[in-house]
Amino acid sequence: MNWVLNAFIFLPLVAALLSLAVPKAARGKFAVFAGIANLAIGVYIWLSGIAFDKFSTVIDWLPGLGVKYAVSTDGVSLLLSLVTALMVPIGLYYLTSRDDGKLSAFYPLALAMETGILGIFAARDLILFYVFFEGTLIPSLFLLGRYGRAARVQALTTMALYTVFGGLLMLVSIIGTKLLSGSPTFLLEDLLRGVRQIPEWQQVWLFLGFLVAFAVKTPLFPMHAWLPEFHGQNHPSGVADLMGTLYKVGGYGLFRFALPLFPDVANNYQWIWMLLAAFTAIYGAWIAFAQTDFKRLLAYSGISHMGLVALGVFSLHPAGSSGAILLLAFQGIYSSALFLVVGMLERRFIVLEGGDESKEKALDRALEIGRVRGLAASAPAFAGVALLLWFASIGVPGLAGFIGEYSILLGAYQANPWIAAIAVTTVIASAAFALTAYQKTWYEEATHSVADLSRREWTVLVPIVALVVLFGVYSAPALELVKPVVAQLYGIVLEAKK
Amino acid sequence: MTPPDVNVLSLMPVLVVLLTAVFATVLPFYTTRRGIAGLCSMGLVVALGWTVALWNQRLSSFGGSYVADNFALAFSVILILAGIAAIASSADGIVRSGSFPAEFFAVMLYAICGTMLLVHARDLIVMLIGFEVMSLGVYILTAFQARQQSEEAGMKYFLLGSFASAILIFGIALVFGGTGSFALEGIRAALAVAPANAPIVAVGALFILIGFGFKVAFAPFHQWTPDVYSGAPIAVTQYMSVGVKAAAFAGMLKIFGEALPSVGGWQTPAQFLIALTLMIGNLAALRQTNFKRMLAYSSIAHAGYIGLAVLSSPAQAYPAALFYLAAYALMNAGAFAVLNSISPSDDGIKVDSLAGLGSRNPFLAAMLALFLIALAGVPPLAGFMGKYMIFAGAAQSGFYGLVILAALTSAVSLYYYLRPVALMWFTEAKGFALPDLSSGMSRAVMVVCAIGVVLLGVLPSLVTNLVSTIGVFASR
Repeated sequence: MNWVLNAFIFLPLVAALLSLAVPKAARGKFAVFAGIANLAIGVYIWLSGIAFDKFSTVIDWLPGLGVKYAVSTDGVSLLLSLVTALMVPIGLYYLTSRDDGKLSAFYPLALAMETGILGIFAARDLILFYVFFEGTLIPSLFLLGRYGRAARVQALTTMALYTVFGGLLMLVSIIGTKLLSGSPTFLLEDLLRGVRQIPEWQQVWLFLGFLVAFAVKTPLFPMHAWLPEFHGQNHPSGVADLMGTLYKVGGYGLFRFALPLFPDVANNYQWIWMLLAAFTAIYGAWIAFAQTDFKRLLAYSGISHMGLVALGVFSLHPAGSSGAILLLAFQGIYSSALFLVVGMLERRFIVLEGGDESKEKALDRALEIGRVRGLAASAPAFAGVALLLWFASIGVPGLAGFIGEYSILLGAYQANPWIAAIAVTTVIASAAFALTAYQKTWYEEATHSVADLSRREWTVLVPIVALVVLFGVYSAPALELVKPVVAQLYGIVLEAKK
Repeated sequence: MTPPDVNVLSLMPVLVVLLTAVFATVLPFYTTRRGIAGLCSMGLVVALGWTVALWNQRLSSFGGSYVADNFALAFSVILILAGIAAIASSADGIVRSGSFPAEFFAVMLYAICGTMLLVHARDLIVMLIGFEVMSLGVYILTAFQARQQSEEAGMKYFLLGSFASAILIFGIALVFGGTGSFALEGIRAALAVAPANAPIVAVGALFILIGFGFKVAFAPFHQWTPDVYSGAPIAVTQYMSVGVKAAAFAGMLKIFGEALPSVGGWQTPAQFLIALTLMIGNLAALRQTNFKRMLAYSSIAHAGYIGLAVLSSPAQAYPAALFYLAAYALMNAGAFAVLNSISPSDDGIKVDSLAGLGSRNPFLAAMLALFLIALAGVPPLAGFMGKYMIFAGAAQSGFYGLVILAALTSAVSLYYYLRPVALMWFTEAKGFALPDLSSGMSRAVMVVCAIGVVLLGVLPSLVTNLVSTIGVFASR
């Protein structure tokens, strides 16, 4: 039993409970400090080297039924966890600048969500994974429900139904996998040992159960419909969207559980899964082009990114898989940051209008793309940072988005050149929608003048920009983390091919 | 002449409840209603103490017709706790609708006595006696208020319930005719050697299934449930949906798991009943506008989930069913306790009137939200663990189709459970304020239920370790 990893997972939840006792005015600061402390634990784990099972904890949870509390970490889990632990305090710090006294429940909910997401990445028992996977839904729904916009109840109902519908099918698959494989426990390693003896037609059904759940959470077409509503209705600051972006763990689930457990199914029907992923990527970019609302645009652009992530995972190729994990991790940084940028824009536009944030119409106007133009003249630094983040999101070389997208397409090409060729057009399409939106907002003739970045906004954006540039030119540290895990997965796939 | 085989120790839990009930019948002439409520709670606590004290001893009386094994004792704990919760929340009902006559508590204890007899019985006749004592008590409780709905509900329940009892008795008679024994072991032994009268026994099993199916509200024998549940005083509905259901399921598990597993003919109809129950319960709950009726329909749906355990093999299914019922008792008793304390009348409330409760009464709204989320089966709360165990048991016995159906319908249930939560916390009040009738007692019940719901969800092994062998005992 190792306390470090458990502390890393549960510190945010404990802090969330403690923060209820903290006076409302100080809650924001408390939550940010808790987040930073948690990040420090994460960095400690990273620096101390994640040797095999060094940080594992395996104890009986439901003895007799084979359910264990099993958490562990490896390169992939750690990379994604670190991104989460980094972005949560940044987001919460930005939130403190917008705290109008009504946000006191936001901090504990966000921290509770962080525990859920870290648990998802660390769980090595499938029931435990399911508990984290679905449990995180509750704080997420409450964030949307408490702080969302007028149509939030509808949006949260849609999200909850999609997630739980998929999740319960996955639960059935999890139970079925254990029974049919004859495994004594729900530990991933035990299941991996026995799963090959299941007849293939049964494997297909089990795989589909997992796929539905992860397709909802990736999201993949046609299970994506909840996401635009989710982002469109969330709190205008963009911090809840940041949490939602981190909670998009479908790609990770496919990589960690679905593929290693059912490599035959993934292999034999590979073109179906790849086509689905490639179509999602194009579809997202295509629909994004037609959006007039900043947040919905980012939502569809996220769908497009996630399509690429899934494409990389389904390519069953080392380059593609590593690319998928890198893209998943880095977009957790810059996509989340773009939501914060939108939050900063919204704040300025509301002020321009003299509008009231609690009024729907004012918010609609504030989030409309192209209503206010030419901001670069009055806020050049803001324009520069935003451009950098947009470029990262398009996948411009030299920024963090590039390495992931490039590797994915490389891997996909090895697996199926035709589908890869379709997917490449996504990159062009996403450049088109992103730059159009950027041009409308920042360039063209200035209609208004706004304030440039404040000191607090600088503090929020500087670490993000630094990381996006750093990993763009030097992604080796991240790649080193991911490589061994991908090699392991690839070993399983190769063995299955024989 | 040998003296009858009576081990008073083994009878103590039931005797204590019975004696308390007798006192509660006589004493109202001399003391206050509050005193009677206190006496009854004390009696239940003492019975609970005896139940715990008898753990692992497996004492028996009446030549094995009455056995205080761990299965019976574990169910008794649920029944007694549900009784205490109902008595506590009936205090809120008194605030609302004036005084109940003190006999209310006596009748409640007689009903509890019946349920406990039912779970201890290992003989169809003793079981039937428990079943009838429980039913008669609950008929009276249902009709306890001088309101039209309450009287109508009582009458309806009594007429339909008597009919179901008649079918049950007919089934018992047929099984006796086919096997020559009332004892569960005897029936099992007879069926193991000479299946000559197989058709008679099969028909008998089917009738028993219908008789019990009525009490646990399997569709299509569920039609009484919404009317009776919404007509009865809320504290009674609370007990019915938890205690009566748990006892009836205990009876079913024993009869079908121990005595009749080798009989063909009831499993297939039972699967149909369960599938139908899952669909009707969940889909009908979707359409309810009255919160009390919604909980009534959702309790039908829960009967469907627990029903899966009746089909599965006892070693797995008994602990799973027990855990589910324990979790369900906590969640449902908690939800009804909150409902009771915010209802202006015993008709319950419109779901829409919950709007904005979160800002007006954060404590009650938080409690209700917790119970509803748990009922929906969202991890890491107790409802999820219960569902998981039931699903795992049923899957192990090969009922994949039913498990998938149960999973899909519980996704549906999320909608009607989360809507009130969303209304309470995410919308503004619309002028109409619900009262807060909660007493210290009922608040304590809610808090205890809430702690239990979280604890059983996070550390389910607290219960499963204790009861993991109850199914092994049975299939011995």
